[in-house]
Amino acid sequence: MIRRLLRSRGMVKFRRNRLALFASGVIGLYAAIFVAIIGMEIYDGIAQAVGGEAKFSLREGTRIRVLPRQTPGFLESQTPSERYNDIRWHHQRMERIFDRDLESMDDPWVQAFNELDLAERKLQRAELGEILARWEAFDEAFLVLDDLYLERDDMLDLVGSIRDEIADLRGDLRGAEASEAEEIRGEIAALEEELAPEVEYLAEVEPEFFAQEEIARGALLELMPMPTGWEGVKYGFRTFLGSDVSGRSIACRAFYSIKVAFQIGFVVAGISVLIGTVLGAAGAFYAGWVDAIVMWLVTTLSSVPYLVLLVVLAYMFTGSTLFDNPREYPELQLVKLYTAMGLAFWIGTARVIRGEVMKIKELEYVQAATAIGFGRVYILLRHVVPNTAHIMFINFSLLFIGAIKSEVILSFLGLGVSGQPSWGTMISLAKDDLSNYFFWEIGSASFLLFVLVLAFNIVSDALQDAFDPRHVS
Amino acid sequence: MWAFILRKLLYNIPVYLSIIFLMMLALRVQNPVYAYLGKNPDQQQYDELSRQMGLDDSFPVQYVKFVGKVVTGDFSENSWAQRGRSVKDILVKSIPPSLSVTVPTLFTSVVVSVAIALLSAYYRGRPVDQTLMVLAVLGMSISYLVYIIFGQFFFAGLPAAEGAWTPFAIQGYEPWMPIGPQAEQARLINWVTYCLLPVIIGVVVAMGYDTRFYRAVMVEESSRDYIVTAAAKGASKRKIIFVHMLKNAMIPVITRVMSSLPFLITGSILIEMYFGIPGMGFQLINAITAKDFPVIQSYVALFAAIFILSVILTDVLYALVDPRVRLS
Repeated sequence: MIRRLLRSRGMVKFRRNRLALFASGVIGLYAAIFVAIIGMEIYDGIAQAVGGEAKFSLREGTRIRVLPRQTPGFLESQTPSERYNDIRWHHQRMERIFDRDLESMDDPWVQAFNELDLAERKLQRAELGEILARWEAFDEAFLVLDDLYLERDDMLDLVGSIRDEIADLRGDLRGAEASEAEEIRGEIAALEEELAPEVEYLAEVEPEFFAQEEIARGALLELMPMPTGWEGVKYGFRTFLGSDVSGRSIACRAFYSIKVAFQIGFVVAGISVLIGTVLGAAGAFYAGWVDAIVMWLVTTLSSVPYLVLLVVLAYMFTGSTLFDNPREYPELQLVKLYTAMGLAFWIGTARVIRGEVMKIKELEYVQAATAIGFGRVYILLRHVVPNTAHIMFINFSLLFIGAIKSEVILSFLGLGVSGQPSWGTMISLAKDDLSNYFFWEIGSASFLLFVLVLAFNIVSDALQDAFDPRHVS
Repeated sequence: MWAFILRKLLYNIPVYLSIIFLMMLALRVQNPVYAYLGKNPDQQQYDELSRQMGLDDSFPVQYVKFVGKVVTGDFSENSWAQRGRSVKDILVKSIPPSLSVTVPTLFTSVVVSVAIALLSAYYRGRPVDQTLMVLAVLGMSISYLVYIIFGQFFFAGLPAAEGAWTPFAIQGYEPWMPIGPQAEQARLINWVTYCLLPVIIGVVVAMGYDTRFYRAVMVEESSRDYIVTAAAKGASKRKIIFVHMLKNAMIPVITRVMSSLPFLITGSILIEMYFGIPGMGFQLINAITAKDFPVIQSYVALFAAIFILSVILTDVLYALVDPRVRLS
């Protein structure tokens, strides 16, 4: 059936559409990532089942802390105070660990230091004494930096407030009369005189602060060096899109979401097309009471708004230990999404397939097959259903993308995915970051989603163009 | 005509009854009282709540009672989560906010989309048309959620944070408060404050898909025989498109508008949740979060009824605008 579809005239026409081929390539790329992620998860699952250790633990990778909170991704440079805050963040975490009585521990690496891990970035292995010495150095450098930072901050405030005052006075000057103007000019001059030494002092403090920052950063790198080699590549991937509000890797979460999206897309579109084709074709082909039942199902289910259906299912499953337990069974938690979307989406496919089969069953070749004496079921499966393949194909691509788009909206409403990252949960978490002008999380999630939906729109347009001569372009 | 409507209604009564049956079963899969009160509730409270909703009766009795309530429109029981409010009160008060967003959205998006589609069809194949269609595909591919979040941020959140002037409120809804003698004026201003931004976002979201659909309709219509005849008789292109074609293209347009009527009720859940507009979708989602069983059950019944009625209405109106459709 697939081979016949690939060789059909529509497919040849489709292959001539360059844009659509490019879009198919993009979808292929997403699909490759999806297959890779699923492959790694299955590998881990098997490894754990036979008592080994998980090698990739991808889902864990979306939960661990890799950076200070809300660090921007590549290309965006941080302001000096943001850089200072990052160093302070590292210092605070380490202070908590190094305050403990490390010398009396049997193995400080297991008991304390692994809490400091930022994915691949770990404390440099060395003798305990050596590490403590490095920590002392970092601590000292940081304390100096801290003082300089406070001083610089005060100076900046002071200079800023004087400048504001001068600007205000200048504003007054414009509308003032001659006698007052003289007075105001005097005030401005006094303020400017006051400003000059402060600016000079700031110019002295600033380089000192930056130099000290370099020293502190160097000490920190001694203590916790950036990973190199393959580990470095992995850490680079984790950090290249920055981190979210709890310091988790945005890149990991955004790419892992491809798996969740494709999973939902495949299951929902697969179920819907399958049920829709079977029921629609059977209804049209056998007519009579079969058709009556199919049509009754179609009317009943299409009378329930899909969101209401979902809401009822969500209510039905709340508190269930199997289907509402995202921590333990994140995959089963999706069952309510599959059910609701499946119940709602098969109807459209069933209607179209039913119409097509009604047309096909009157054609000569079906009559010929009947005359030869083939069975009804054989004719339906061998001669009728394969000729609706292009409809199934188009519907699959439409439903696939419909399911992914709905997932995003439902996750936002709190009815969708939980227990694993998805574009919907990422976007809804990120909406509060906008007020800090932090766009990395929402940007990454919606960019990946946008590219996928766009590619699918182009492909399904091209498919309709190629297979449906009546379709207007 | 009336016979047709009556037949449709009669056909849909069993459909509705079976929907209610299935929905009530689904809502009782887990004990609603436990869902609301937690696993170890106070015995007295438990008895009170289950007696109030009649949950201690057998299922057929509950079914008959609830159908009776739906038929007589008697939703007088109290909400569990919103103390002191009856379900009917919540239902009735949530309708105007919903409509004050969805009706303008639907109307504006149809007018704007049809206008753009006409423009596109007029310049078919030329750069104007191509640009518009590329824009439509791009617009269609952006998630609804992204439109809402960025729309609110750039037109309401950001100006408010920067101290700049903006006509839009970030969230909330209180348009029905007449203030002094200029009550009407105040209402309009309040509407602009709370509802205009959601309406604009809704229109932009709808436009991507709608323009493409309407353009396809127009283009298809423009290859009909009567258009060729008009052109052969020497009518100008402009006259053909705006006089001859537009009139006939209105049939599919009206069909599409009709078929989106049910979504007037349910369609704007996302907008309502994000902008805090206490419409029907907002109340339903809140009831789910609070496990407010009486409200959920009544909303489900109401939504299904509205949905069925609007489908019937669609069929009837479709037959009215298109004389080729016979009422049979």
